Amino acid sequence: MTEALRVDAVSFRYPDAARPALVDVTLEIEEGTFALAVGPTGAGKSTFLRVANGLVPHFTGGSFTGRVLAAGRDTLAYPPRALADAVAFVPQDPGASFVLDRVEEELAYGMENLGVDPAHMRRRVEEMLDLLDIEPLRGRSVRSISGGERQRVAIAAALAAGPRILVLDEPTSQLDPQGAEHVFAALQRLVHDQGMTVILAEHRLERVAGQVDLALGFDEGRVTAGDPAAVIRRLAMGPPVARLGRLVGWDPVPLTVRDARRLAGALPARLHPVTPAPGDTRVELRRLSARHGDAGALRDVDLIVGEGEIVAVMGRNGAGKTTLLRSIAGVHAPASGTVQVGGHAPRPGIDAALCPQEPESVLFAETVAGEVAVTLKARGIDGVRPEAVLMELGIADLAAHHPRDLSAGQRLLVATAAIAAGQAPVLLLDEPTRGLDPEAKERLARFLRSHAADGGTVLFATHDVELAATVATRVVMLAGGEVIADGDPASVLGDSHVFAPQMTRAFGPGWLTPEQVAEALA
Amino acid sequence: MSAATTARPMSVRTLTGGSRLRAGALIVLNVVGLMAFLWPFALPAFTGGNENHHADGPVILLVLLVCLGTLLFVELGRGGMGPKAVALLGVLGATMVALRLPGFVAGFSAMFIIVLVAGNAFGPSFGFLLGAVGTFASGLFIGGLGPWLPFQMVAVGWVGMGAGLLPRTGSWRVRIWALAAYGVAAGYLFGALMNLWSWPFLTTGSAVSWSPDATAAENLRHYLTFYAATSFVWDTFRAVGNGVLVLVLGRPLLGSLDRAARRMRLEVGGDMNVTPAPSATREGAVDVEDPAPVLGAPRGVPVGR
Amino acid sequence: MHPGAWILWATCAGMVTFTTTNPFYLALIVAVAFFVYAAQRVPGPTARSFRVFAIAGLITLVVRTSLVFLGTVDAGNVAFAALEGARLATLLIVFGTFNAVTDPFGVVRLAPRRFHEPALAAALALSIAPRTVAMVGRVREAQTLRGIPTSWRTLPSLAVPVLETGMEEAVTLAESMDARGHGRGRRTRYRPAHWTPAAVVVSVASVVAAGVFVVAAWTQRGDLHPSTSPLAWPQVQPALLAAIGLLALPAFAPRPREEP
Repeated sequence: MTEALRVDAVSFRYPDAARPALVDVTLEIEEGTFALAVGPTGAGKSTFLRVANGLVPHFTGGSFTGRVLAAGRDTLAYPPRALADAVAFVPQDPGASFVLDRVEEELAYGMENLGVDPAHMRRRVEEMLDLLDIEPLRGRSVRSISGGERQRVAIAAALAAGPRILVLDEPTSQLDPQGAEHVFAALQRLVHDQGMTVILAEHRLERVAGQVDLALGFDEGRVTAGDPAAVIRRLAMGPPVARLGRLVGWDPVPLTVRDARRLAGALPARLHPVTPAPGDTRVELRRLSARHGDAGALRDVDLIVGEGEIVAVMGRNGAGKTTLLRSIAGVHAPASGTVQVGGHAPRPGIDAALCPQEPESVLFAETVAGEVAVTLKARGIDGVRPEAVLMELGIADLAAHHPRDLSAGQRLLVATAAIAAGQAPVLLLDEPTRGLDPEAKERLARFLRSHAADGGTVLFATHDVELAATVATRVVMLAGGEVIADGDPASVLGDSHVFAPQMTRAFGPGWLTPEQVAEALA
Repeated sequence: MSAATTARPMSVRTLTGGSRLRAGALIVLNVVGLMAFLWPFALPAFTGGNENHHADGPVILLVLLVCLGTLLFVELGRGGMGPKAVALLGVLGATMVALRLPGFVAGFSAMFIIVLVAGNAFGPSFGFLLGAVGTFASGLFIGGLGPWLPFQMVAVGWVGMGAGLLPRTGSWRVRIWALAAYGVAAGYLFGALMNLWSWPFLTTGSAVSWSPDATAAENLRHYLTFYAATSFVWDTFRAVGNGVLVLVLGRPLLGSLDRAARRMRLEVGGDMNVTPAPSATREGAVDVEDPAPVLGAPRGVPVGR
Repeated sequence: MHPGAWILWATCAGMVTFTTTNPFYLALIVAVAFFVYAAQRVPGPTARSFRVFAIAGLITLVVRTSLVFLGTVDAGNVAFAALEGARLATLLIVFGTFNAVTDPFGVVRLAPRRFHEPALAAALALSIAPRTVAMVGRVREAQTLRGIPTSWRTLPSLAVPVLETGMEEAVTLAESMDARGHGRGRRTRYRPAHWTPAAVVVSVASVVAAGVFVVAAWTQRGDLHPSTSPLAWPQVQPALLAAIGLLALPAFAPRPREEP
């Protein structure tokens, strides 16, 4: 078999960077391989993906040593546009990468650039629509489709010109479980039915770890390529089944739920731990109904949340999670029913603070510390230093950085700090784990726990089942604007198919985290 | 195999980029374009003075449109901008479109601030492009394509171009105040120019009419009266609005744009050919040349207050 | 119908309007423009254009007529000003129709190869603009929740996040375009708009109509500019009326079927 990608002693440093992004990387990826790049943020995964199609160094500038052959072409001699028919590149946020308005035209754009004749283009567009299962979307505006659909359209658009290598940068980080499923299913088809080579970088490994042929472990610019189980075992933050394997000492670590079951055997149902009784009621919703546009977003919602609780609000896209949070924050007026925070109608920002879905939308200061200081000043809070707030989130060392220079995870932590600095007792976060790396997630979880322990209240909307399993004291499920489940995580998550964490899937309801299972197996 | 196969030679950082011939042609065209706006004063000098003014109307307009069209054609109709420039134009153009309507008080339109800061950050060539493209997109968006569009595109383009010609070195204070002053002047000039091309058609037969027989000074007087009566208040809102916005937003926005240019390895003020050229160094490392000093010491570095 | 045909129609109708201040001709042009608009308007945000332009036309008429008061006021002058205003109003209405019957992206797609990049930038601006508007709203709300109200002084807290996020998206966009071969060489068009027989007929008819009026203006026939001092009743020539009738042809063109 020939190689799809061959990397020879490649080192690369971004212009103006202190340290190199890639150090002496040598590896080969054969045609038809499904390869996964893993590792902490900043270790070089994104850079490596861009090496494969020439964006590094042609687009980014910088200092580059070594040689890369992508589909047999030297990436130094061929700039990205010359590799467009050999390597397809799909960035993390496909919505920002669309050029035209209609799906069908977007698919054709790449081929137009390559000068393909119209008849051939028509055929290829039809093929791509079928291959990625997006035929019903052909006349739709790219803005009107869901996240998972957008990701598949981006993949189709990149593949339309005929490349055999597909490179994706965190394709499912912004997607809900269903969207992620569809994307992975599509990638499976491409690899198994079409013989394509797929290289992707991911943090959320639960679904994909068991499907790949090759893993590339990144650590501060160096790469170890090998068997997925071996590479993932070395990760500090792998998928829950792998973490379980590490804790218990299995080698190789399981990568799928099935492997974990086989290794562990069955476990008895876990006794539900007694959840500590919540403190005084802090948030109270009675028969709350709200509208969003023309649709009824919330219908007759009753909810009581007390001090010290950490509530995960889950549900499909459009189930009403955001509207619920915004109603509690006091920025979405109820159509009927009442919302009370601390015994009265919520004063926006004072009783409840909301961190929006895109944390970038609040960052505007020159430094991280400055960002926190802005909120402190706006709320008239004296005697608190910004660094103290930053320390609660574990990012005090970033105080002098420019917020926009940070990674997605760090930015979320900064935004959370900036918003929590307002000292509102109720903290609301809307999908905080979008695009988040495990380290930042860990820091966030710690902060939420300490905020609740200090008497605060936390509600966060999320698709991230593992985060809910780890940190929530309570889970509320919404569907069609109504509450369909409300209780402790073990029962609610254990009861669901779609929203069950890996441990639950492997061992049954009640088992939420690898630590719990490891303890039981010891 | 030579790395240079992919390289495009770095462009000379001239005013408009490219060869002297192109620069000269562009200057001529811009002057012609300006003449197209100022034709009510210029025309009597050229024609003998035709009795039947009305027959001139369509012909004159056609000629004007051709002049402006050629200017736009040459400025806009070029290849080799590259994806970075197109993406920036798209995103900044979108911001112009978004800002056209809100806060609309008399003549004030927030979209000018974008042209001013982007022109200042990225250079006169980009500034003109952004002005023209943003205005065009804005017209498309609000469903308002009218015969004034070429005039407006060129006029806004000139605002952007001028902003790029302003000094970009020195302290922030100087830079911002210069830009603010320019914003005020540009607000008035823009209004005066846009008013000018329509003035003769609007006022024929009245006391402030244009006449091909009158001298330039008389025409000017008539025009100024007309301007004072109609456009002046409108334009004051625009001019003052521009100045205030620059003072309030100039520094943070310019900071963001400078950073973006740095991140994108953009050569500022050049011909928009932004592909950096790889070249081999002694150790075998390939240094993809940073088309710097884009935003290094010479400008943008805030000198202590 | 091919957008080029519409552009030609609008240009010729505009020229016809420009050559005359005869109220009867103008009225007929307005009727024709409305007729074409009613038959061919494209549903969507641009459909409002006609009304907007019509109102703008009305305002122009009023303003132009009132300018008379800057000078001597008599029946002749008022009529003159009113006719001038009517001409401008008619011109605006013609453009109102043009805006309402064309799809903005269609106009952009029309750009010849030389203009591909600026046209693409314009199309991008059009697609991205709604996202930008939504983002401004979101940023505003988030900052208000933080305790930062929207005011003159706090504009940076609104403008900087929008611009910074926009810049980051520009990088992603540029990467994506580069990776998909932008600027590689000679391009082809996926679904080139075709010149249908209807488009050709409309184009020819428009040029003929414009030609007739230009000739009439040159030879000073047809009472294109009825005298206002002394005030006289305007005359019309059947040939010129027929020429205006030609401009109504687009109304009969087959409506574009929904593009798949």
